[in-house]
Amino acid sequence: MRVVRTLALGTITESESDLDLRPDRPWVCVVWDDPVNLMTYVTHVFMVIFGYSKERATELMLKVHNDGRATVASGTREEMERDVQRLHEYGLWATVQRDDEF
Amino acid sequence: MSSFRRDDNGEIRAIFTSQEIQVILNLTEQLLELLGDSELHTAVPGEGLDPFMNLMGISTSEAPPEDPVLRRLLPNAYKDEREAAEFRRYTEHGLREKKRAHALLIHEAIISRQEELEGIAEVSGIAPWKEDASIDRAALELSIRDDDANAWLGGLNDLRLALAVRLGIGEKLNDGATADSEEKTKRFELMAESDPMQAVYAVYSWLGWLQQSLLEAMLSGGDEHQAS
Repeated sequence: MRVVRTLALGTITESESDLDLRPDRPWVCVVWDDPVNLMTYVTHVFMVIFGYSKERATELMLKVHNDGRATVASGTREEMERDVQRLHEYGLWATVQRDDEF
Repeated sequence: MSSFRRDDNGEIRAIFTSQEIQVILNLTEQLLELLGDSELHTAVPGEGLDPFMNLMGISTSEAPPEDPVLRRLLPNAYKDEREAAEFRRYTEHGLREKKRAHALLIHEAIISRQEELEGIAEVSGIAPWKEDASIDRAALELSIRDDDANAWLGGLNDLRLALAVRLGIGEKLNDGATADSEEKTKRFELMAESDPMQAVYAVYSWLGWLQQSLLEAMLSGGDEHQAS
């Protein structure tokens, strides 16, 4: 984790670097914004499925909300497909794609 | 409006009015029916279902469902149509089953509680409610096990997604254009009470409130956030 900017109230760290994006893990799971799903619910689902901390899950939820999408996990294609399937079970809008597709 | 809360014994409970019970029963039944006719939407004329493939949970359907609600509940997992179709072939059946299970859990919880209360009334000869005309006799208190709470959340969310499609909330997903949602919400709030869509919107809002209250009740319990 690296500090990307410092504010008067404290520092913000870039958690994107927490994601394991090594070349041998070239697939990612992307969650898309959906105005129906409650923000607290999306955060909860990230915690349940990925075991993320509340802080991390909230951060990802806000990224989905503000940017329209967020990469929430990376790994093998099979792992990402499994994650997407579980996100669909909970009604979140998720897709699998290669890491370099953005 | 009813909502969930955790009582002093640590149980998650809610008391529903008879009207609310009817709404949840009706919606879950509709959802089950919609999810039930799995292979129908892509059945190719003259080509029967392959029983073996069906047994293995492999669907013969590759195209996204035609019903917009089903398309929302069973979305494409890939942007590329071909990859999405291939993935759907192997996973749509399982996803449908999971969603059916969530809806069934909610439906069964209500039905079995109703039967339980009827049983008590029969055995004791007295109704388990006070003799007071102002009391809603079909009101129902439900308690939810923590183990079932995530399935309830998912099931309630599916009901909200289904209603949202009918209301036109969050259209054009995946095109990046969802900015219309706030405008839509305002439109429904200003809508005349006689408009049937206003009633649908009221149910949609209530289910959101209910889902939020369940989540808060779950979190007030402590250590349920284990990765499963």
